[in-house]
Amino acid sequence: MRRGGCCGVGFALVCACTTTELLAQPPALTPPTQANYMLNCMGCHVADGSGAAGKVPSLRDTLVPLAMSPAGRRFLVQVPGASQSSLSDLELAQLLDWMVRNLSARAVPPDFVDFTAAEVARYRRYPLVDVRGTRARLLAATWERFGTMSGTASGARR
Amino acid sequence: MHNPIDDLVERLARGMARRVSRRHFIGGFGALLFGAGAVPLLPVARGESRPPAQGTATDPGDPRTCEYWRHCAIDGFLCSCCGGSVHSCPPGTEASAVTWLGTCHNPADGHDYIVSYNDCCGKSECGRCLCNRNEDDKPLYVPGKSNDYNWCAGSQVGIAYHCSTARIAGLAK
Repeated sequence: MRRGGCCGVGFALVCACTTTELLAQPPALTPPTQANYMLNCMGCHVADGSGAAGKVPSLRDTLVPLAMSPAGRRFLVQVPGASQSSLSDLELAQLLDWMVRNLSARAVPPDFVDFTAAEVARYRRYPLVDVRGTRARLLAATWERFGTMSGTASGARR
Repeated sequence: MHNPIDDLVERLARGMARRVSRRHFIGGFGALLFGAGAVPLLPVARGESRPPAQGTATDPGDPRTCEYWRHCAIDGFLCSCCGGSVHSCPPGTEASAVTWLGTCHNPADGHDYIVSYNDCCGKSECGRCLCNRNEDDKPLYVPGKSNDYNWCAGSQVGIAYHCSTARIAGLAK
């Protein structure tokens, strides 16, 4: 049986009403940079950047520590999902800034410097081969300043 | 040596032969056959024969068809045909947190919506309403933009794929 099988009449009405509510009025336009996150990153890293335990790494604890060192910034640009996206250098720079400011569970330090299109272009042309190893080394180097990151040290989230 | 089952059946048969006439038995048996034939007439099956949904002015079309506007890049079984809806999983399945997203054009208002094709996981394939539309679908080596992946690999309930939803996640333009 199609829908009637488990969506009883009451539940089917709830479904229909919810659908109608979603589009009764178009939602507000999603800001372009946030839309780029949704279309290029959110599928795996989910809406708040927390990923999926044991499968997709969380961004929430690691964005700020990585974005505060040249090697970490290079990693954020070179990681395959970023460097191989269809975004332009400027769009990718704006997306990384948006992610640091909106998805990080840590406060953004006042000395954080925005990414630029030139910086992205400089890093992006070189592929990153050992993604996991590079990430682990970079995060280990940030512990002194930022402390052990929850979930990362235990390996619960890669 | 007597078989206890044989004894039981014999007792029941002899008891019935003493109490029930042949005409009474034939009448009862006929009623049973007729009643079994009437089971499909019960209202539980009538959902199958309802006319296609027309949707609303702002959300046109039938979510149980491949041509529904949100299904512009779907590849899989429609949850709307599997006991769920266009944005909810059928009972017994769980939506995979990881998924792929694309944009679809809503002909009613002219806007492009960001659609999240969350797979419902944890049961074997639904098998109803298979759709394969591939607007802006990319090859497998662009994993974030490919609808050929089994996104249940990111689920916590196992990789068994059941069906796909098409949820509105935002408004692109």
